[in-house]
Amino acid sequence: MATIDHKDPVVVIIGSGAGGGTVAHQLTTQGVKCVVLEAGPHLTRDDYENDEWRAFTQMAWLDMRTTSGSWRVANDFPNLPAWIVKAVGGSTTHWSGATPRFMEHEFRTRSVYGEIDGANLLDWPITLDEMAPWYDKAEKAIGSSHRHGRPALPANNNYKVFANGAERVGYKYYATGPYGTNATPYDGRPASVQDGFNFQGDKSGAKWSTAVREIPRALETGNLDLRPECQAVKITHDDAGKVDGVEYLDAAGNLHKQAARVVCVAGNSIESPRLLLMSSSSLHPDGLANSSGQVGRNYMRHMTGSAYATFERPVRMYRGETMAGIIADEAKYDTSRGFAGGYYMETLSLGPAFLAAFVEPGEWGRSFTEKMDAYERTAGMWIVGEDMPQESNRITLNTEVKDQHGLPVPNVNFDDHPNDVAMRNHGYARADLLYEAVGALSVHHTPPYPSTHNLGTCRMSERPEDGVVDRWGKAHDVPNLFVSDGSVMTTGAAANPTLTIVALATRQADHILSEMNAGNL
Amino acid sequence: MPESESAEQPPQEPVELQRDTAEGDGTAPAGLSEAQQRTLLRLLKVAYPHPDFPDDPYERTAKAVQDADGAAELLADGLDDLDEQAGGDFAGLADADATKIVEQVADGAFFKLVHSTTVVALYDDHQVWELLGYEGPSFDKGGYVGRGFDDLDWLPDPRVEEYDGEPRAEIVTTGLVKAEGSN
Repeated sequence: MATIDHKDPVVVIIGSGAGGGTVAHQLTTQGVKCVVLEAGPHLTRDDYENDEWRAFTQMAWLDMRTTSGSWRVANDFPNLPAWIVKAVGGSTTHWSGATPRFMEHEFRTRSVYGEIDGANLLDWPITLDEMAPWYDKAEKAIGSSHRHGRPALPANNNYKVFANGAERVGYKYYATGPYGTNATPYDGRPASVQDGFNFQGDKSGAKWSTAVREIPRALETGNLDLRPECQAVKITHDDAGKVDGVEYLDAAGNLHKQAARVVCVAGNSIESPRLLLMSSSSLHPDGLANSSGQVGRNYMRHMTGSAYATFERPVRMYRGETMAGIIADEAKYDTSRGFAGGYYMETLSLGPAFLAAFVEPGEWGRSFTEKMDAYERTAGMWIVGEDMPQESNRITLNTEVKDQHGLPVPNVNFDDHPNDVAMRNHGYARADLLYEAVGALSVHHTPPYPSTHNLGTCRMSERPEDGVVDRWGKAHDVPNLFVSDGSVMTTGAAANPTLTIVALATRQADHILSEMNAGNL
Repeated sequence: MPESESAEQPPQEPVELQRDTAEGDGTAPAGLSEAQQRTLLRLLKVAYPHPDFPDDPYERTAKAVQDADGAAELLADGLDDLDEQAGGDFAGLADADATKIVEQVADGAFFKLVHSTTVVALYDDHQVWELLGYEGPSFDKGGYVGRGFDDLDWLPDPRVEEYDGEPRAEIVTTGLVKAEGSN
């Protein structure tokens, strides 16, 4: 690892997840010095726990947050709007692994869906064609199954129920992937041992994360100074308007400032806009890079829901790769369904501890314990689809509530759009049909969990007045400030976002390199 | 600003999902009388009824509830209130009558404390895992790759590869129904 002087103006990357970890890897392997500020600790495989609550306590982002709006999470989990990770590797530590690409029309939803009341739809300034080579690179980095010669994972028990149900209701586009976990050894990492723990950090290393691939390789170059347990609190700029440093608090609470030539913000879609809003100045009175007023707005969390079905005979859904089962038949824009956008169905399993907390928050009595008693005979799926961006779904600074550093906590305001509700109900009904086709005794519709897919709060736009960053993820207002995570997504598409975040970050790093070489950065 | 979260809140963890009770210290916390402890145990068995569970996990959960943040302020009064509503002895009521009383207090702070602690403590209890058929940590046993990850035999083995017929249509405009909320 490099030790970089605080006065040395280098590329400063805030966050080490899918976006930040990827940018750090791309730049350091090309000889560029980088400092990565990671708010969480440096956990590695041996630290991870095969235990839901211990792992949650170990790695979840538990800093105080507040919520508002009509979404049910604000009632059931008022201080836990998102279930994301605070550790080196960010949320790639607990991602499950599904890697579908976005569809062509999902980059231009304003044009395809038309105007939808209350939705702040906008076409991306880039296309699928433009992204295709970057998707190839991302899939190879991750080792996505079913792609580039990587073999499929085998069928686990939960998938057997899911795929047989899919076949019986006439679905065709189901498989055990594409999925970012090795079926056979690849890229120095082993094959899956089907241990069943995906959301807790993968002890075997079969699952891709920036903690097992990008960060260790970046450290090996000698160009990366990784600073865990360092919380960025303000990005500073010079009189000319270029960013020139990042102030951060170390584990002991001491304030430091790292000089910067370029700053890449990749703190996930709640912390990234929070940091920009906390970095207001006389030149940027409403927050850094916020002349559009769009910083923090258009927060998306994907339309989600889960279905848990009980059967007469055992399923043991917890054995094996959690999300190695994807149905894409409903991932389409079909005007006959009564809503815009599409969704995927994906296998999902929780252990008893998390199932009890999430299956029907607040429920008690026999209706609740019957679900738990059926645990061994239960199969589960997640429904994940495109939600509508809305200006009022928004991250703001809650100046009335302070975190452990005395800083304003982020407030997450969210209301479902009627389109989201219609899509969720459609997904639940399709899940019922699928599970009933293989003999389900009952199917329970579980409401959305605290958000794992957080998107859109610094969105990419062609025109500066419509969004925060340009086609490269560079701030419209600041020439050397980039946003490198899922915050840049103009719209959310139906697919799990990690693959696209990695593809965008790889492309962005390539752009930063060429701009540096051209003397523009 | 949200109305629900007010200024007096100190820095804190999320109110839900904060307890790891897998390794409690096992000591009975002070504060509750024997009668109140009996009422608490009965409450847990009424509100979270599992016909096949022995008393042990409920007893451990009762301890976790007494250890929870806020227990000192809420627990004793809440349990006394249950007894009062039961005409003196909540623990002596039949299941159906006891359940009706729980329904009356279910929205209050007392029961919310009991509930948020119980969903964690009871279902993170390793004896409960065994009772429910959950096997817990697996990595140190080599995962499930040789231990039944694919042993479900009451359905045929499905295809794992992607469909090799015609590609999926991504835009289908056969119908004309528009989304609620759209123009």
